[in-house]
Amino acid sequence: MEPLARYFRIWIASARYSLTRATMFRGDLFIWATVELLWISVNVCVIAVIYSHTKTVAGWSQYEMLLLVGTSMLIQRFLMGFFWSGIFEMGRNVRSGLFDFTLAQPGDPLFMASTRKLELDGLLNSFVAAGLVAYSAWKLGIHPGLGSVALYAVMVGCGVIIHFSALVMAMSLAFWITSSQGVEGSYFTLMEFSRLPREAFRGVASVIFVWVLPVVVVSNGPARELLHGFQPSWALGLFASTVAWFALAVAIFRSGLKRYTSASS
Amino acid sequence: MTKYAQSFLVGLQSNLVYRWNFGVRSIFWSFHLIVVYILWGAAFSGNPSIGGFTFVQTLTYFVVIFVLQFFIGAFNEDYQISEDIRNGLINQFLLKPINYFAYRLSVFAAARVVSGAFGLLALLVALPFFRSYLELPHEAWRYVLAVPAMALTAIIQFSIAYFFGLLAFWFLEIQGFVIMSMAIENLLGGEIFPLDLIPHTAFNIVRFLPFFYQAYFPAAIITGRQGYDFAVQGLAIQAFWAFALVCLAEFVWRRGLRHHTAAGG
Repeated sequence: MEPLARYFRIWIASARYSLTRATMFRGDLFIWATVELLWISVNVCVIAVIYSHTKTVAGWSQYEMLLLVGTSMLIQRFLMGFFWSGIFEMGRNVRSGLFDFTLAQPGDPLFMASTRKLELDGLLNSFVAAGLVAYSAWKLGIHPGLGSVALYAVMVGCGVIIHFSALVMAMSLAFWITSSQGVEGSYFTLMEFSRLPREAFRGVASVIFVWVLPVVVVSNGPARELLHGFQPSWALGLFASTVAWFALAVAIFRSGLKRYTSASS
Repeated sequence: MTKYAQSFLVGLQSNLVYRWNFGVRSIFWSFHLIVVYILWGAAFSGNPSIGGFTFVQTLTYFVVIFVLQFFIGAFNEDYQISEDIRNGLINQFLLKPINYFAYRLSVFAAARVVSGAFGLLALLVALPFFRSYLELPHEAWRYVLAVPAMALTAIIQFSIAYFFGLLAFWFLEIQGFVIMSMAIENLLGGEIFPLDLIPHTAFNIVRFLPFFYQAYFPAAIITGRQGYDFAVQGLAIQAFWAFALVCLAEFVWRRGLRHHTAAGG
């Protein structure tokens, strides 16, 4: 328990630093919070426009789809809020040699690199995404019990870990290639698929995006839990994916770390 | 004129260095097309047409948007301009008989020749797989009017990017503004969904905004989503916006220079 408590104290110190920094640059915080809010609005607009011309998409009604998109957004906002800045900077620091400073810190390098900064704008907008989910559930007449909400929260947590793993894997490329600039785009592109219902995927797309890559299960799992109650196959699939992808990400990161040769003088 | 031709040639060479970035970008965009295919395929399932257009016509619209972005879209010109200002590289242009807007425009044109070639290459590779999903109208006037529409779109896209780049005269960090504007431009430019699918009143407001002419307008002419009269009226509005935005860019440049402090030798 002692190591866990130590890491928790380190995280609290980083979080306190990030919050102080965010309140120092309030204009910046406002702009980025607005940016995130705008992108959430863009996704809501897409649903509104599509459903103004059709009643269902792959068997999903408008508010079911909104709940799915809200869930996907919620997972992504948590990732942006808790881990994005740290992992994004990790790619740059590996190239510049500034990663030395992370290695010199008293903790696991992946933990130290990924939890260094908290982005308040992402966390603020997670309330908007959660509001979207709650509003959709209300429109659908869903009244989940405490157990269902807890399971949903755990599944969203699994989604955040899967997103985290995908991003770590993408940014770990910096250990092998000289310029991984723009690699983060691969993460955003893949996560576009998580806003689509599983039933929309057919043939090869179903094999790749549902079974090989966890981009669909990550959002469909929790959304289905709220919509249809506990479904063991979805829950187990999501938990198994979480463990597998996190293990793979850690393995790739550690393998890359062995290749790291300080670039600083 | 010769100096801008030289800038164009240098721009061609320097952009060829980043050929892999354009290649990777075109692959990411191909994934975006897969998302579009799955989402709209599901929306059209059971609906022979949406907004008066078939699935194939809608998919053609998105493919044309994809190609247009590579040929006439502004990618990271705003960032390059802001870096010139922040690093003081802009000083060299103030001491030489060269117009910075024209210089940047010539480099932008060179970059689009290179990225356009990559976009086209990606399209040619993918064409055998989705040729049956493409359907372009045969009226010759569409292609005649599309040429000036695309040229004006390029000017509008570049001027907006130039404007945001110049904000670096006042702000240290412009990325928040750029991504905020990207959300608005993507939505109101018709990159997320064809704008003719939104309610009539909203469409009639949006068509008078410059964003409408950033992607939707030329794509709508080419793919047959709008008729001749609309296209001619649209060209007039587009020409107005191109002129207005170039004037705005010049105005902001002059105001920015008043703020600018050149330091060092």
